[in-house]
Amino acid sequence: MIYPKRIKANNRDKILYGLLMGSVVIAILLVVINKITSPGFPWAGIANCGIIYAWVTVIYSMNRNTNIAGHILVQAIAISLITLYIDYRLGFKGWSIDISIPIIIIIANIIMFVLTIVSHKKYIKYAIYQLIIVIFSMLPGIFMAKHLTHNIVLSIVASAISAVNFIVTLCLCAGDVKEAIVRKFHI
Amino acid sequence: MKKDKNKKMKWRRLDNSAKIFPISAGRKYSTVFRLSVVLDEVIEPKVLQMAVEQTVEKYKSFKVRMKSGFFWYYLEENPKKPIVRKEKEYPCTYIDPRKNNGYLFKVTYFESKINIDIFHSLTDGNTGTTFFREIVYKYLELRHPKQFENEERNLRKLHYTTEDSYLKNYDKKAKSNASMQKAYKLRGKKIKLGAISAIHEIIDLESLKKECERADMTITQYMTAVLIFCIYKANYLKYSSGKRKSERPIKVCIPVNLKKYFPSETMSNFFSYITLEASLDKLSENNNFEKILKFVKDSFKAKLRKEEIMKTMSANVKLGTNFFIKTIPLLLKKIIVRLSYIEIRKYTTITYSNIGRVGIIGKYKEYIKYFLMLIAPEPVEKIKCSSCTYENKFVFTFTSILQDNSIEKEFYKFLKQRNINVEIESNGVLDDISKEN
Repeated sequence: MIYPKRIKANNRDKILYGLLMGSVVIAILLVVINKITSPGFPWAGIANCGIIYAWVTVIYSMNRNTNIAGHILVQAIAISLITLYIDYRLGFKGWSIDISIPIIIIIANIIMFVLTIVSHKKYIKYAIYQLIIVIFSMLPGIFMAKHLTHNIVLSIVASAISAVNFIVTLCLCAGDVKEAIVRKFHI
Repeated sequence: MKKDKNKKMKWRRLDNSAKIFPISAGRKYSTVFRLSVVLDEVIEPKVLQMAVEQTVEKYKSFKVRMKSGFFWYYLEENPKKPIVRKEKEYPCTYIDPRKNNGYLFKVTYFESKINIDIFHSLTDGNTGTTFFREIVYKYLELRHPKQFENEERNLRKLHYTTEDSYLKNYDKKAKSNASMQKAYKLRGKKIKLGAISAIHEIIDLESLKKECERADMTITQYMTAVLIFCIYKANYLKYSSGKRKSERPIKVCIPVNLKKYFPSETMSNFFSYITLEASLDKLSENNNFEKILKFVKDSFKAKLRKEEIMKTMSANVKLGTNFFIKTIPLLLKKIIVRLSYIEIRKYTTITYSNIGRVGIIGKYKEYIKYFLMLIAPEPVEKIKCSSCTYENKFVFTFTSILQDNSIEKEFYKFLKQRNINVEIESNGVLDDISKEN
């Protein structure tokens, strides 16, 4: 005999599919309950936004469980989108653009800054995420230019921190950034 | 691999053939092939782990993990150790890099058998055999240190590159010779999702050779003819009648080792293929096997020429080097390729790959019973065939996702009728073939 008697097929996909379907059912139920009990307040949309966020986090963690910079990037974008959505559903007072997104960007940049200092020797694996975070960090600047924000202090601080972070990164790891660009964008 | 001044991870681009595999691969299209060796002793897992670790240090081109770029995937040096596990899954299943320390090959063992499943982006069957043979040598040396104490094999210097030999050898002006005729698709119910049947027909090489000599053919040619005959008899005639009648030809794809035609020392992929197109009008009048033999022999003669192989290879390289295709973002490439892959595969009924003789030196032979080669079947190509030779054993393998094993049975019956000694081994998914025989 050259094969084991009991060979297992991979069931992970089935489990994930089951959980995904479960989430869809729950999401639909929430919308129905919301419509019946409190149609004036869209809490189901906000809850479903949380379900989508959870799935983004779970799927990303399963696929890329090794790179912390990737997690920071995904979390920064996902949480920003959630806050923007919640703000919108609650009548759009602008707190997401004024406060939440700049704070998220400040935190993401500080973490990336620490990562750069602490592990600049293996920085190459973070480089491409850092670049995307830098691009993402331009958002407060765009908000200011388009006069979408009322509280410019936080936006200025966020933009300044991301600019400093980018300059420090270039000073310490310019070679890595260049190398990462060559790898990631080779055709 | 590109050199870095610092201790950073080295990286390399995928070769022209390898580019397509990670884009199209998934649980249904694993694009994995397996090599196995059956020893005459039970495998010692710890020794095997050591052997694999030492071998990847020698063959650095295998010590890699796959990363995604914006336009293409690429390979990067892998700092982690490869994992050796007991065999628990079906052969040639998708290699999940997350469960495999990022490695694109997976070494498993069961009783006296060692397997290596290799993702095709890493290399082809020819180089895969070289790497696997080194694992086997290393395992035996570590397992029986006294017997192999003065082995000179390790003193030999290893010469290899990871260059893209396709780019070096292709002809920009060569015109494509691809046939636009879709192929007959094997019919029958599929076995449950994820299960793969593996049936090995262990054939006595001497008696097979005699039969081939009588037909004045090589073993690959002869087995291809038998395969076409069996597909026609056991699948086409069974399923293709009345309303379901198919006019499409049976097309057999035969991979070709390009190192036999072009100079190359690469450890990356360097293979192409020829496609034999047996039209059904010919087959029905040729129900006589002798005529199929002649058809196969003539087709090999016409297609297995450097100029023809160059045409196929160049057409594929031109596709991979096309500026427009190169600049499509990877995410879009994935969507396009996955949507069109089922369509692309409709031009082949079955693939048959013969990696030929697995040469083993000196005392190592005493520990080895035989080698096996397997290729992953796919939803469109539901059966794939492969073979390899070790000493006096030629092992022909069917890997299948079809419940119906009539082709395998017909194949066995055919060889037996010609007094060729055949033994069957299988993974038990379609057990009845062994019982009935």
